[in-house]
Amino acid sequence: MADKHVIVEQLVKTYPGSGAPSVDHVDFDLEKGEMLALLGPSGCGKTTILRMVAGLITPTSGRIRLDGRDMAEIPVHKRNMGMVFQSYALFPHMSVAENVAFGLEMRGVPKAERAARVERALDLVKLRGYGERRITQLSGGQQQRCAIARSLVIEPQLLLLDEPLSNLDAKLRDEMREEIRDIQARTGVTAIFVTHDQDEALSMADRLAVMSAGRIEQIGTPRQIFDRPATEFVANFIGAGNFLTGTVVEPHQANVPGLGMVVFGLDAPLGKDVRLLVRPHRFTLNGKGENAFEGVVRHLVYRGDTLTLDVDVKDRTFLVDLPTHAGTLPERGDRVTLTVARDDVTVIGTAA
Amino acid sequence: METSLPAKFAWRLLIGLLYVFLLAPIIIVFVVSFDTRQYLAFPPESLSFGSYVKVFQNADFISAFWRSLLIGAIVGLGAVTVGTLISLALTRYRFRGEGAVNFLVIAPFIVPNIVLGVGLVLVLAGFGLLDTYPGIVLAHLGITIPYTVRTVSMSLMSVDRRVEEAALVHGASPFNVFWRITLPLIRPGIIAGGVIAFLISFDETTISLFIVSVRSSTLPTEIYRYLEYSTDPQIAALSVVLILISVAVVIVLERLIGLRKAV
Ligand SMILES: Nc1ncnc2c1ncn2[C@@H]1O[C@H](COP(=O)(O)OP(=O)(O)OP(=O)(O)O)[C@@H](O)[C@H]1O
Ligand SMILES: [Mg+2]
Repeated sequence: MADKHVIVEQLVKTYPGSGAPSVDHVDFDLEKGEMLALLGPSGCGKTTILRMVAGLITPTSGRIRLDGRDMAEIPVHKRNMGMVFQSYALFPHMSVAENVAFGLEMRGVPKAERAARVERALDLVKLRGYGERRITQLSGGQQQRCAIARSLVIEPQLLLLDEPLSNLDAKLRDEMREEIRDIQARTGVTAIFVTHDQDEALSMADRLAVMSAGRIEQIGTPRQIFDRPATEFVANFIGAGNFLTGTVVEPHQANVPGLGMVVFGLDAPLGKDVRLLVRPHRFTLNGKGENAFEGVVRHLVYRGDTLTLDVDVKDRTFLVDLPTHAGTLPERGDRVTLTVARDDVTVIGTAA
Repeated sequence: METSLPAKFAWRLLIGLLYVFLLAPIIIVFVVSFDTRQYLAFPPESLSFGSYVKVFQNADFISAFWRSLLIGAIVGLGAVTVGTLISLALTRYRFRGEGAVNFLVIAPFIVPNIVLGVGLVLVLAGFGLLDTYPGIVLAHLGITIPYTVRTVSMSLMSVDRRVEEAALVHGASPFNVFWRITLPLIRPGIIAGGVIAFLISFDETTISLFIVSVRSSTLPTEIYRYLEYSTDPQIAALSVVLILISVAVVIVLERLIGLRKAV
């Protein structure tokens, strides 16, 4: 534990005048060079955590350690962190190069070295030749890259990114995801990345922490979060899902009222109620599987590479995603058999 | 919107009349200042620059002018400095007595100048500051600081706090954040406040009349005193000079920094 790069322990923040804590006993840690995504709905406390780590607000209780040092006594400007704000927060009265050079100047880096490092940082974010521009002469994406350059150039011990992509259009956002990921890999900087976009979190982060109402619901790799959600909230927040409640009657078998026996791969205690999750794209149509459910296609939406079906099975409806190359596609009103392999039925709460 | 021609014409006429009404005194003063007679009357019979020459030869006027300029400059700088500190405190920190400071800052707007004048005489007399530079400067600071607090606060409120935070996170000490980020961003408000404070001080009569006597008389009080004994076109000429100075200050600053954006 002690050799982790960043350790956050039992962090709590209750804003003055508000009853419930905005951040409630949060723990997480990061290895050097790791990228952690903080993910959760609006108002769950993501920004608050980031601001506490940066030192912009004081925690109500709890500890933040960076490289073994307790941050409590270290003022903001001595923490050696970089931060990309949601609104970028570039210095409007300075040129692009002056913005990027600012942190180096504050650290007393000599002028010649400063210029060279600014040049390299601008290269890294593909803003070479833009140094003399005013901030107002940059597009949204360029401003964001300028903000990234400004925080990377100081070689921070920790990079904090607060929804840096939320102001961009979809195409630019995709490009910037790749770029940030790429830059992070090349510089090896440790980063905490705030987002409420699940795609962004899954595709960019080494690990994600899914938050709800100030607490971390689950923390893990994108795969763990997606395939082994610890709570129904996590399962719902990351991707869509079909949920079933049943009683475990035999090892790997649950009796789901109104549906019948469902076989699953994970271990669950006998006699207990369990919540089962099947992701929509894990179903196959008229195939072989231990779990077969007969139903009628009630509604379908063609989405290009997938076909989304609502299939009525007895008195419940399953959400099903099928790849569109899968032979003949069903039509509305068709009787179909949905099958799903036992390993694709997840028991919620058995986080690996 | 479609407007009929007569309506448009009537509107123009109204605006025109309004301007004439507002500018008439200035125009009359301007015309009268070239009159050759030794009393104020309109219209003039013959024109000359005689009154201007006399104004520039009047030693009392000239020394009062320099005093006013000096006092105005000190008041401008002082009011802006104090105003900036008060604005920072009011917009950036919560503290006890904030309400009181807020009230003190608008008080000079609501209290009539004549009341302020009487009050200041009593206070300044107690400290032996009547008819001294510190006395008049203090009095002018009292009435100008509310304006500088206003202009600087406006600028401060338009500064994005995240920008200051970004500077802090990237290694600037709180002092450097102010010096390198906040100060440059509120410069328009500071300059506008300074100019307004200077112009008010340069122009202020009511309160100054209570405080100054011979040693520290400012140009407006000198004019007032002159008017008690004589009314001749010199006063008109001097007024024109004062107007030109004020306009020049505003135009130069407008050119330099875009004053209009700042107020
Ligand atoms: N300065 C503040 N004073 C009081 N309450 C605050 C303050 N800042 C945030 N909060 C509250 O704390 C909670 C968490 O806010 P926070 O900004 O951390 O959310 P977030 O997860 O970043 O949300 P979003 O995705 O919308 O940015 C919210 O309920 C918010 O209303
Ligand atoms: Mg936020």
